[in-house]
Amino acid sequence: MSIPVGHYQYDRIDRDFLQARIAEFEGQVQRRLDGTLSEDEFKPLRLMNGLYLQLHAYMLRVAIPYGILDSRQLRKLGEIARRYDRDYGHFTTRQNIQFNWIRLEDTPAILRELAEVDMHAIQTSGNCIRNVTADEYAGAAADELVDPRVHAEILRQWSTLHPEFTFLPRKFKIAISGSPNDRVAARFHDIGILARPGEDGAPVFRIFVGGGLGRTPVIGEELFDSVREEHLLATLEAILRVYNAHGRRDNIYKARIKILVQAIGVEAYREAVEAELAQMDLERYRLTPEAVAAIRSRFAVPLLEAPADADAVLAQQRREDPLFDRWVRSNTHVHRDPGHIIATISLKPAGGIPGDATSAQIARLADLADAYSFGEIRITHLQNVVLGHVRKDRLRDLWLGLSEVGLAEANIGLIGDIVACPGLDYCALANARSIPIAQKLGARFADTALQAEIGALRINISGCINACGHHHAGHIGLLGVDKRGEEFFQLTVGGRAENGAAIGTILGAALPEDETVDAIARLVDCYLGRRESGETFLDTLTRLGHEPFREAAYETV
Amino acid sequence: MKRPVRLEPGQKLVLTANRLLDGRTVWWCADGAWDLHIGRAALLDADEAEAVLARVAGEAQRDGVVGVYDTAVQAAVPPEPVTVREKIRAHGPTVHPEFAVETEQ
Repeated sequence: MSIPVGHYQYDRIDRDFLQARIAEFEGQVQRRLDGTLSEDEFKPLRLMNGLYLQLHAYMLRVAIPYGILDSRQLRKLGEIARRYDRDYGHFTTRQNIQFNWIRLEDTPAILRELAEVDMHAIQTSGNCIRNVTADEYAGAAADELVDPRVHAEILRQWSTLHPEFTFLPRKFKIAISGSPNDRVAARFHDIGILARPGEDGAPVFRIFVGGGLGRTPVIGEELFDSVREEHLLATLEAILRVYNAHGRRDNIYKARIKILVQAIGVEAYREAVEAELAQMDLERYRLTPEAVAAIRSRFAVPLLEAPADADAVLAQQRREDPLFDRWVRSNTHVHRDPGHIIATISLKPAGGIPGDATSAQIARLADLADAYSFGEIRITHLQNVVLGHVRKDRLRDLWLGLSEVGLAEANIGLIGDIVACPGLDYCALANARSIPIAQKLGARFADTALQAEIGALRINISGCINACGHHHAGHIGLLGVDKRGEEFFQLTVGGRAENGAAIGTILGAALPEDETVDAIARLVDCYLGRRESGETFLDTLTRLGHEPFREAAYETV
Repeated sequence: MKRPVRLEPGQKLVLTANRLLDGRTVWWCADGAWDLHIGRAALLDADEAEAVLARVAGEAQRDGVVGVYDTAVQAAVPPEPVTVREKIRAHGPTVHPEFAVETEQ
């Protein structure tokens, strides 16, 4: 079997470990079914294997390390959706996939099927280091300084079943990017890592700590500016140790690292990490060039060959086909190779469910990845799909193929590209439904020409304060709340997860569900009416302040 | 100790849980069975619910259910849960009408 492009190739040790883990979980499931294990005893065991119990059924969250998978893996996910679920899967804001209708007794068989393609559901839940996320354009984008995937894989291996960090005070999320343009929301992670080349050419890492969303949104603070590659693991180990030792365990809502960093201050946290590093055996944690090279060798490099006229062909096709041109404008990104381009496939059809894909669509995406992008697929934290290496002269053929299965929506980064958690339609924690309001907004702004006219505008929707829809980071954020059994939505504006990260400001009292879409439409109208040439929504908001938007949103209330 | 349940006029309590094998939402019936359909659920007065809940919860493993609790419903035919959450549990996700519990046998 050839090495996959874009992600690490498992070896026998990896596969033996997965089989042992499945056998262990199968025994746990059997003991749960025969009553040897109570639900209280079983719950932490199933969560460690990604299995939740939601409103209607079990939900299995499958890990997609740093959001990258190959076509045979994606095909397998589609087969699982068809055979064990209700023919669809839901891609999440952590670059994973969830299946919402899983039977407990099927779970070991599903895990075996996943293991056939080197996948699992370990550490997609529980108080451990979760799936490490990475830039969806890693290794492809022209603006990238360092390809973060090799280090993301190193972090995956370091954090998997780490004996010290399996029972942290709370879950722990790490993101890594190698671009000056933050596409991973680095400042909203427990640890955010931005890689860049050092003076000697080897990467150095800028590390932020204590960011997060949830009920206490906090922008992460810089802990170190330039951690050398050889000290990356030691530094992360020390950061985690300080958190593990001093993070609160008495109150689940105060247990994230952000609370600890806020409580003692980033300077004190840095001193604690440096003190920990001073007494560690750094040699044991040293990340040698040889170790990095060994991991890198398990990634295949795509052979980027394109005809000399690939760019001209694409330009001609864009002139001839305005619909295609609109899609290219919104759904592509500049590749490092002039003959190639990055295509983002929207999973946000107008009126559809953000992040959902049917088994037929999943299978088609796998076929298209094989045909157009070296069999490699990326899942974004904004619930879309990326084909990273598409030849420019073949982009239109890809677009036509996507059109056949309803995946050619031209709305990436626009108001229709809505991020939403599963909300109260599925989630046991939610207070309100996220998906229906996303569908209504998607339908309201379905016209892609209107979306292009509105320009860059992200809407994020969460069904509860846990903020899985990242509403604090939305240019417009919606938080679902329950008021005496009725669904209301609190609006925020001005959040952003990219460079210049900011937490959205609450506009006012929460609105009844049936008034929310109209309020957002008025808010958008306010922007369109008052923007100056070239301004985005955030530009106009920054210039005018919140008051005109608050007045617009609450005009008739 | 469990907080006393305050019911509005016209409301009763029903017992609900998730099935152990597949996680599906089920409702406790007067004959002791658990059913997918809330229309078959036993309606309980507040003063009897606590004892019934304790007894039924104690038999959860034998009955193959998880997380038994009570919830208020309007005592209509079929009974309708009071909260949005329980309505969605009773009828299925609102975004997939084809998954409506009512369409299942």
